[in-house]
Amino acid sequence: MKSDQLISVGTATNSRRSERWPYLFIVPMVLIILLVFVYPLIAVVRNSFYSGSISNLSFIGTANYVNLLRDDVFVHAIVNNIKLLLTVPITTLISLAAALILYENIRGWKLYRVILFLPYIIPAAVVGLSFSYLLQGNGILNTALRNVNLDFAALDWIGSTTLSIYSIGAVIIWSQFGFGVVVLTASLLSLPTEVSEAALVDGASRWQRQRFVIIPQIKETVQFLMVLQAITALAWVFPYIYTITKGGPANSSMVMDLYIWQYGFSLGAVGMASAAAVYLLALSGVLILIYSRMRKRQSERR
Amino acid sequence: MRRIIGFKGKSKSRIVATAAVTVAALVATIGLGTSTSSAAFKTADANTGKLVYWFWGESDIPGSTAWMQDAIKRYQAIHKGLTIELVPQNSDTLQGAFETTAQSKSGPDIAMQWATLPVLTPVWRGQVASLKGLVPPAEMANWLNTSENVSGGESWAMPLYLLGQPFVWNKALFKKAGLDPNKGPKTWKEFLATCAALKKAGITPVVVGDKDGFFGSWFQGTIGTQNLNSVKELQDVYAGKAKFTDSKYSDYLTKLAELKAKGYINSDVTSIDLTQGWQAFAQKKGAMTWTTDGNVATWIKAGMGADLGVQSVPKVGTGKLASFYTATQSISAYITSWSKNKQAAANFLVWLHQPENVKSWYTTTGSFPADKRFSASLIKDPVMKALYKLNTQPNQLWAQNYAPPQVDSQGLQPAAQGVLAGTSTAKQAAAAIQKAIDAWRTQQPKDLAAYKKWAGV
Amino acid sequence: MRNLFGSSYRHAFLIFLSLASIYPVWFIFQTSLKTNNEYLLNPLALPLHPVLSNFRETFTSFPVAHWALNSVIIAIFSVSGAMFIALLASYAMVFSKMRGVNFLLNTNIALMVIPPVTLVIPMFMLMVNLHLINTLASVIIFYIGLFVPFSVFFLTNFMKSVPYELIEAAKIDGLTPFAILRRIVVPLSSAALFTLMLVNIIYAWNELLIALVFLQQQESRTLMSGLSLFQGRYSINQPLVMAGAFVSVLPILLMYIFGQRFFVKGMMAGIGK
Repeated sequence: MKSDQLISVGTATNSRRSERWPYLFIVPMVLIILLVFVYPLIAVVRNSFYSGSISNLSFIGTANYVNLLRDDVFVHAIVNNIKLLLTVPITTLISLAAALILYENIRGWKLYRVILFLPYIIPAAVVGLSFSYLLQGNGILNTALRNVNLDFAALDWIGSTTLSIYSIGAVIIWSQFGFGVVVLTASLLSLPTEVSEAALVDGASRWQRQRFVIIPQIKETVQFLMVLQAITALAWVFPYIYTITKGGPANSSMVMDLYIWQYGFSLGAVGMASAAAVYLLALSGVLILIYSRMRKRQSERR
Repeated sequence: MRRIIGFKGKSKSRIVATAAVTVAALVATIGLGTSTSSAAFKTADANTGKLVYWFWGESDIPGSTAWMQDAIKRYQAIHKGLTIELVPQNSDTLQGAFETTAQSKSGPDIAMQWATLPVLTPVWRGQVASLKGLVPPAEMANWLNTSENVSGGESWAMPLYLLGQPFVWNKALFKKAGLDPNKGPKTWKEFLATCAALKKAGITPVVVGDKDGFFGSWFQGTIGTQNLNSVKELQDVYAGKAKFTDSKYSDYLTKLAELKAKGYINSDVTSIDLTQGWQAFAQKKGAMTWTTDGNVATWIKAGMGADLGVQSVPKVGTGKLASFYTATQSISAYITSWSKNKQAAANFLVWLHQPENVKSWYTTTGSFPADKRFSASLIKDPVMKALYKLNTQPNQLWAQNYAPPQVDSQGLQPAAQGVLAGTSTAKQAAAAIQKAIDAWRTQQPKDLAAYKKWAGV
Repeated sequence: MRNLFGSSYRHAFLIFLSLASIYPVWFIFQTSLKTNNEYLLNPLALPLHPVLSNFRETFTSFPVAHWALNSVIIAIFSVSGAMFIALLASYAMVFSKMRGVNFLLNTNIALMVIPPVTLVIPMFMLMVNLHLINTLASVIIFYIGLFVPFSVFFLTNFMKSVPYELIEAAKIDGLTPFAILRRIVVPLSSAALFTLMLVNIIYAWNELLIALVFLQQQESRTLMSGLSLFQGRYSINQPLVMAGAFVSVLPILLMYIFGQRFFVKGMMAGIGK
């Protein structure tokens, strides 16, 4: 992510200015990006102004956009996605704490590391399936709670309209924190050890060392991780919702990607789904903007 | 970061291995690709080639998938050049999966949806082939309830079985609560009194699952239509001539809210599926439920027969439809408009109705075939006899099937879930259903026009 | 003293996280060994009489082996395709003096955060028109596209740490750019490549939405989209669903257990700081 360094590498010699091979080497990348990103992005915007099914579209202007904002379910879906964004700081904090402890070579760190990465590799659909059984009203979690006389805590995790989205949020945290541990551990391990050791000599406490020496050095990775997680929370929770609640009960756990899938494919309303996708793109655009601002500010400071 | 250079030695063999696997897989897929493409060019002669059949029935009639698989085996033995691939479908994705495949202009040759609107919606979207010219009228005359799938004067789908929606109770639990085990509640008042007595005895009065949303629509179909005088009145509300918020349509939500508020329904109703609710009923975790003939037949087979009471739902309204029983041909098979083998598909559907198949359907699954040639004298069990009588009475209607699928899945189902989860009032739920109707009307103008034409409003 | 307390506190935190990480996986495994009756009677306990019948039924009532093969084919082609494309591009972007490198890098970062669901409908229509729907190729092409931005990001990041003198020396020896890539850069990147491969394979193996929509025929399904059918079909036989889930996790689990040593090292190389 150090683009300045890139440029300095590039200017090492001037004689290769006319080389053609690099352009040939990037052709496949450009082609696949045109096919999988550029074309669909143009098409989805175009389709959002039409109604009907895929084979039979008719132009209706901005009606889809208006109808979506009038649809309580869609508005609720956006609210739910924003609620799911709350998982990002929580997941990051858990991952960061775990990674920092592992970094100190705590006894058994190797074993811990193997275990803590585990949730990350379990497919979201499998996670969803098993948690749907764990979290049912009379499911595993509640049976266990009742067995130890904690009946009051045995709530209807996925059958309650108020709880369902938070339960799904908890499942997402479970399934995502492992990735954070992996990435942050990797980032910590590639730090030069001298800095941390120097701080040790200075007599800094562990907390001071972490807060003022270590964390600032992996700040960029943390930010990057948070952006990836934010995008997951915003637009890639389909497998969890699909396998745990299918958006229910009473649409209480509806999210944007499930909504787009439902309208685009189950109900055959491509225009509505496309307009919803454009709203989603706008929201992620905001996220990208925030991220690139942060990056810019940092590189200016440097 | 230099540490990784240490991997250099090991990695070489790794890369070679990866490359080898890649090449092998490449060869394999090329082989795979050619074999499938050659299969696509089969002759279109009747009774040869390949039919793909998207089947659904297991939730209504446990054992129906196995019966169909066996029937296909027997049919293929008669017609050597024909293969039929049976692909079982799931309740919760049945409609969506068909719409998705229809958009890809490809998919199964034979598919199934529930009768009336679930069938007619794809019909109006041009995804279904008419049976006219494919099935001889003399054959079709033997099929029961074909009128449920008529639009524009043509029949579009084949009924396989009759499905009633009995209200059932567990006699043993009734006895335990001091109730007359042989008498089910006949009115809403009696129903509430029964619930109260059961609850007092520590028994969950009603046990159902509504995570998948169907029960809400069933409750609407059985309880919610009792203030109406005709099917036309029901169609009016979807066509826009009446408002769902009118209490004659939405009173059932008040009743549902009452059951919830009084704690007469199992607490985990919104976190378990319809079938899981039935499983709980069979495990005696609740005393009453709404179910299907096929499940009753399965419970009888499992030895629960003596404990089962069946009847139609308690009477709550004064409209003419209050005396109707909720029954339908349920799932209906139709031939897709893109099928390259329509005649072969039709021939197979006709064959499924031949007397020996009609009989074996009944003896294997215990559910009633939708065919005049079925002899009722085969039914021996008293409970099943009672159900057959209910199914074949003249006044019957499965009201859920008159709602456009989008209104059902986006309106009727979530609204009832909100009530059952205890978060929305009956009034809010009715308003949400009206909103879903309005949304369907603005989003699907072509479906609406076809609906109006079909309903004659 | 304080240190001791701190250490046990930290151990408690890790042990809690570890138990939370393991239990659902263990639940899948133990449930898959129970009969439905045993599960209904006591869902929490260890299986008293472990049975393999659920696994047998999983394989006999669904073409699970075929689905697994589809998943493998999709994973191999999409991941190797994307990595090949990304290797070429990253190499060119890091080790040449081409113009627009910054633009390309920034574009890639932006594409990484495009929600794939917004691309699904146009891609679906495109694949229908190309008659590729229900073929593995449709999903492979889509996945390649989705993998490329992250892979380029990851590899360019890594390649910046490859000493430029090595490349220069090879150049003086008369190696072509492709030969340098193959003989010098790839071997040096093996840990990074391995991790990138694993990350992409996990994605390809686990993806549900695209697989569900693009591959609707029974014989073209992936393991994940097939598994999602289990739930609806066997909602009253949860041990069977869990057996299906376990089967679909196993390959990736094994890959992880045997490869996890390289995994962190590769991550270090690609993400670095």
